[in-house]
Amino acid sequence: MEKKLLTEHYDKSDYVTLKGYQKQGGYEALKKAFKMKPEDIVNEVKNSGLRGRGGAGFSTGMKWSFLPKNNEPRFLLCNADEGEPGTFKDRLMMERAPHQLIEGMIISSFAIQSKKSYIYIRGEYMNSYKIVEKALREAYDAGLLGKNIMGSGFDHDMDVYRGAGAYIVGEETALISSLEGKKGQPKLKPPFPAVQGYLRKPTIVNNVETLAAVTWIITHGAAEYKKIGTEKSAGTKVFSVSGNINKPGVYEVPLGYPFKDFLQNECGGMKPGYGFKALIPGGSSCPVLTAEEAMKSTLDYESMSQLGSMLGSGGVIIIDDKQCMVDILNVLMNFYHHESCGQCTPCREGTGWLNKITSSMVGGRAKMGDVALLDKIARHMLGTTICALSDAAAMPVMSFVTKFKDEFEFFAREKKSKVRGDVVYAESHH
Amino acid sequence: MPKVTINGKSIDVEAGTSVIKAAQLLNIPIAHYCWHEGLSVAGACRMCLVEVEKNPKLQIACNLPVTDGMVVHTENEKVKDAVKWSLDFHLINHPLDCPICDQAGECKLQDYYMNYGLYNPEMAERKQKKNKAVSLGDRVVLDQERCILCSRCVRFTNEVTKTYELGIFNRGDRSVLSTFENRPLNNNYSVNTVDICPVGALTSKDFRFKQRVWFLKDFESVCNGCSTGCNVKVSYNNNGVFRLRPKVNKEVNGFWMCDEGRDVYKFVNKEYRLDQVVENKVKGKPMALALQEIGQKIKGQNLAVVVTGQYTVEEYDAFFELFAGKLKNVKFYHWMGNEENFESFDGILLRGDKNPNTQGLLKSMKKHGIKAGNWKDFESAVVKKEMQMTVVAAPENQKAYPEMKSRMKTFENAGEVIWLSSCSSEDFNNFKWQIPMKSYLEKTGTFVNFKGIEQKIKANVKIIPDAVDLVQLSAALGESIGVMR
Repeated sequence: MEKKLLTEHYDKSDYVTLKGYQKQGGYEALKKAFKMKPEDIVNEVKNSGLRGRGGAGFSTGMKWSFLPKNNEPRFLLCNADEGEPGTFKDRLMMERAPHQLIEGMIISSFAIQSKKSYIYIRGEYMNSYKIVEKALREAYDAGLLGKNIMGSGFDHDMDVYRGAGAYIVGEETALISSLEGKKGQPKLKPPFPAVQGYLRKPTIVNNVETLAAVTWIITHGAAEYKKIGTEKSAGTKVFSVSGNINKPGVYEVPLGYPFKDFLQNECGGMKPGYGFKALIPGGSSCPVLTAEEAMKSTLDYESMSQLGSMLGSGGVIIIDDKQCMVDILNVLMNFYHHESCGQCTPCREGTGWLNKITSSMVGGRAKMGDVALLDKIARHMLGTTICALSDAAAMPVMSFVTKFKDEFEFFAREKKSKVRGDVVYAESHH
Repeated sequence: MPKVTINGKSIDVEAGTSVIKAAQLLNIPIAHYCWHEGLSVAGACRMCLVEVEKNPKLQIACNLPVTDGMVVHTENEKVKDAVKWSLDFHLINHPLDCPICDQAGECKLQDYYMNYGLYNPEMAERKQKKNKAVSLGDRVVLDQERCILCSRCVRFTNEVTKTYELGIFNRGDRSVLSTFENRPLNNNYSVNTVDICPVGALTSKDFRFKQRVWFLKDFESVCNGCSTGCNVKVSYNNNGVFRLRPKVNKEVNGFWMCDEGRDVYKFVNKEYRLDQVVENKVKGKPMALALQEIGQKIKGQNLAVVVTGQYTVEEYDAFFELFAGKLKNVKFYHWMGNEENFESFDGILLRGDKNPNTQGLLKSMKKHGIKAGNWKDFESAVVKKEMQMTVVAAPENQKAYPEMKSRMKTFENAGEVIWLSSCSSEDFNNFKWQIPMKSYLEKTGTFVNFKGIEQKIKANVKIIPDAVDLVQLSAALGESIGVMR
């Protein structure tokens, strides 16, 4: 069953405006927050069990508490560089409820005592950018941003920044580099952003959905939030679903929801004539699950990790039985090859190598040893680089060639797809 | 002080020391391309992966500060396999042009392949194509295909020279090193990028294709291009000296040297040198005979002695012992060279005092009670015809004395000139005598740099067999005059 904490009013057309948002109780949480002590807000978020919704699933309250306890200027950055293939939930959240995000950001900034925050929006999200920018103007005009917000004595400024179209900038340190005006490349850690981030100052980077959830948590309290979901995965999660299903789209469900029910109820089942073959549960970087594994799974962090995959950003990709896994992997490798920043050698060279092999395979030029080679290359890319892009490319490869070995070996041997035969309907990229 | 154990060997190091540095102190080699002690940490090549006990993931030694009790392994199978693969990733798109690559023989890709590789390559796809032989500036050429994108050169221009000419452009395996538009790599430290390039991507226009490095031998010396006295490695063989590279000395030059200093070797090689005694434009008088004749002549004459800061302390001592200690009617003049900008400093290494041993000269003069005049004094003495003969200990490196040509007229009017010089030039043909001197690479002695640091140089090559230094010259003259044995 859907449980709409954040997306409850998304169907109301005026929810995007300040007035419409306030009609549904908007900015009441902020009023409440200003009556709390900043450290109590941090504790409230910590107690709610909220985990980062951008992909890594790290405890939000914990992340905040890594900030140095002094008067050093600090920044809150909202990561709205949603670029993970299969993921499109932040876009909806920004386009339908920009004030929910802004309110969450002001509360979070107050909690960590940051006087300046930025919303870093993916460059391709022109529409989201315009909507958020407009909402920001409204908030400034209403005195919800700027000096002495609502008479609380708290000053805060917020800006929107548009990316230039690089997937890697969704990685928090790369986002910081980009915001600093540098080439968007991840930075070496340590130092971690909470200690030395944007402009070498303590910085917190949170996902859109995470910050929006803060608003709900402050309104209803950590205990209410904790009641929803599972023990280790509190609250709800917004999933974006794509594939040959009857109702692709964005759904908010409580964590721990069985995938089987999700597919049947929310997604409306497979389209007629299509069978369910495989699931990428959280965006293209997550290891693929077979239909059998997927049907046993529940949508939460622990279940996915038990099955050797990840909940990631909630970008659910449903793969049907008419899709060739070799084609899909080739598309993914084309993406990671294109998006590797090129800093670390294993990723720079490895993504290209993998892509060249999958491309050869799809083009009917593969050799028998290539299936094993794909796996070997991927294993040696795993965990050896500054950021997780190398892993993000390696994990699908390892899971695809292991779980769908027959399709890969068939392609290498017969020079054609086991699923689609000689028919080419998945464009192969070079 | 935290204690770290690497491959069973323990060492106490200062807090904050990286594992790679601690390993270096223990003489344990850890493979690396991007890490350089004189630059910031990039952590990009992923060659220095090591295993730290109680940590499941391999760590890069360059960005891992030592903590007390840390136990590190660099040679187990897990690490070796990881390094082998990091190396393989470097090599899959690297062209196999070692036979025509100038770096061959001192290439870290070759070295590590011998240590960690020795496998049959599995890469059977087409390699990335990039640009070859890209001129980055007056002195440096880039081969983009050979470049492993370690970013050392970029960090060098950002952090050391702060000139920001270089950048890595594009993404992924299409990344290329290049210069920014209208900003060629022409700073005076550009060739350091060639030195720190671990592969054959950046090569020096001056050195490339001249010699295979395995036909060269290195010895250490001190640059005589200015008063900083950078420590250098001199590469030479029987055909002469081919290049100078900086040798690390944290007190003097750190890791670097300037491009101007790299050209100094040119004044040492045969083609620039005065190889025999020249008397009235005629070559060939044997050195011993010439010095004997000169000795006979200068006895009792009014002498002017012009000295430059280009000789060693030992030479000055012998020279002044004769001219100040044993002879009368001698006036001394200090020709500083580059007087207009003598005090200048570029903020990195290069100083306006273009002599390696001005401090040594001043010290020696003081020791011998000499109060030398300056160039103006010399000029007025010439006008007054105070001297019958002039002995000039001329500079080795003529380029360092931009005023050289304009001063020839003054010397020509300074009586009978005995021109002591390692290099030849038509400008010197009007002097009565030209005596070939040894270059700084052919003699043993001491240079004192601007800070007063004494540095020894050693004779390591013999390029002009007849050349003498001031010690030999002073002894021969002294004997001829009859004041020394």
